[in-house]
Amino acid sequence: MTSNSKNTTDATVSVWDLGVRVFHWSLLIAVFVAALTGFFGSPDSLGIHLAAGVTISFLVLFRVIWGFSGSTYARFRSFLFAPDAAIKRIKDMMAHRHVRYLGHNPLGAWMIFALLVTLLLIVSTGAVVLGGVFKQGPLAFTTSFATGRLVQEIHQIFAFGLLGLISLHMAGVVYETIIGKETLISAMITGKKPNISDVSQPRAVRAKPLVALVTFVAFGLGGTFGVASFAARPALGVPVAALDPLYAKECGACHFAYHPSMGTATLWDGILSHLDQHFGEDASLSEPIRAQLAAYLKENSSEHWDTRVAHVLATANPKEPLRFTATRFWTRMHREIPDKVFASKAVGFKGACNACHSDAKTGLFAPQNLEIPEEAHL
Amino acid sequence: MKNRLFVTFALVALMPMIAYAGAAQKPIIDSYLAAAKAENAAFSGFSAERGKTFFLAKHDASADTPSCTTCHTADPTKAGQSRAGKEIAPMAVSKTPDRFTDAEKVEKWFTRNCQSVLGRACTAQEKGDFITFMSSL
Repeated sequence: MTSNSKNTTDATVSVWDLGVRVFHWSLLIAVFVAALTGFFGSPDSLGIHLAAGVTISFLVLFRVIWGFSGSTYARFRSFLFAPDAAIKRIKDMMAHRHVRYLGHNPLGAWMIFALLVTLLLIVSTGAVVLGGVFKQGPLAFTTSFATGRLVQEIHQIFAFGLLGLISLHMAGVVYETIIGKETLISAMITGKKPNISDVSQPRAVRAKPLVALVTFVAFGLGGTFGVASFAARPALGVPVAALDPLYAKECGACHFAYHPSMGTATLWDGILSHLDQHFGEDASLSEPIRAQLAAYLKENSSEHWDTRVAHVLATANPKEPLRFTATRFWTRMHREIPDKVFASKAVGFKGACNACHSDAKTGLFAPQNLEIPEEAHL
Repeated sequence: MKNRLFVTFALVALMPMIAYAGAAQKPIIDSYLAAAKAENAAFSGFSAERGKTFFLAKHDASADTPSCTTCHTADPTKAGQSRAGKEIAPMAVSKTPDRFTDAEKVEKWFTRNCQSVLGRACTAQEKGDFITFMSSL
């Protein structure tokens, strides 16, 4: 680690230590990936989005620890400014007075805290969405789908807020570079700035990398084990029992045996009442078997579960109320998939969920378990 | 000499098994035989040839399923595929030995598929011809 050398005779002075610099550029990459997959990703980019989110969590954890154990300008106390100082900075800027700081200027300092807090809010709301909507992660055991959906909106608002902050942050860098003649970008690469007399004069301290490392490992491991143990709890409202063997045999003879949680009680009743006209074919069953399947499906219909599929497929298309693939949700999620993929031998038809969703038979449909077979593209 | 004796012995020992290959389908064939006689006094036995013609015929009851071959393919020794993408084991008894051994299953599928493809129930003679054809392959 670069220690702080505030030798006034040097032409340059080390400001940003290695920890700050590596943190800054790693965070930039992780946020870029998270934003790209979050705003523009297809359903199957959730895995990358989560990896980026976990990376951001660890980076922020490191930065917080480094804020108490890094070298002079990495420490939070070197850039704790009262709000007045930030307001004065704005007034100075408007009056074209440039006051130079070696570390963060008061406005920049507030931006750092705003960015860190926003990132924490985005990561935490992300965990709620993951738990409620996708029934994964540490909060899956306690978060309802409704909560997850609501918090998803908040997660998005924070994400847009972060974009706003990043824009201001970059505008600040442009302003400082052009108007203030500061070398901010090269300073974040080399760590060095031209030596000037610093108005804030923070007390020089050495970095304590070993303390930082031990603390990071302790919190990192503790956090990871905590998250893993919560994530291991049974998810709220997720079916775990295997399919009824009779249902799997009778319905699975011709098509993928749709998980009962995919249909409402109304849908299953509609299907089971008209088996002789089953999507263009006669699929009649003897009455005892039909009655047994009807009871099973009614007991396990979407109303009994809290998974994403149980909620989103519940809104039937009035024109074709019995067809999952006619629902608005299904149509929207599959709009980019060409017809030839569905017609391919590897898939067969639109209702062959398990051709691409490897966990379809459980009714979970995790975006990470989604892969269009390669043969389907030929 | 010793060898020939062994082959003869093996053949004799295998005979009940060879006979059994058709025997598994016999109870069902017999029940359709009785029904066919009751349907038609002039009925004189099932025919694999008629069964084949029936299997390959095209009907106009449904645009989606005009023929048995829509799902089972024209070669009963090959696996077919349901319209919903599920594989269907070959219909030929030589490929799928437990075909036509479960009366309830056989009736379930004749009921469904005759309705879907022909738009009517099949006669006992059609069913018997069909099974005879599938057992002859």
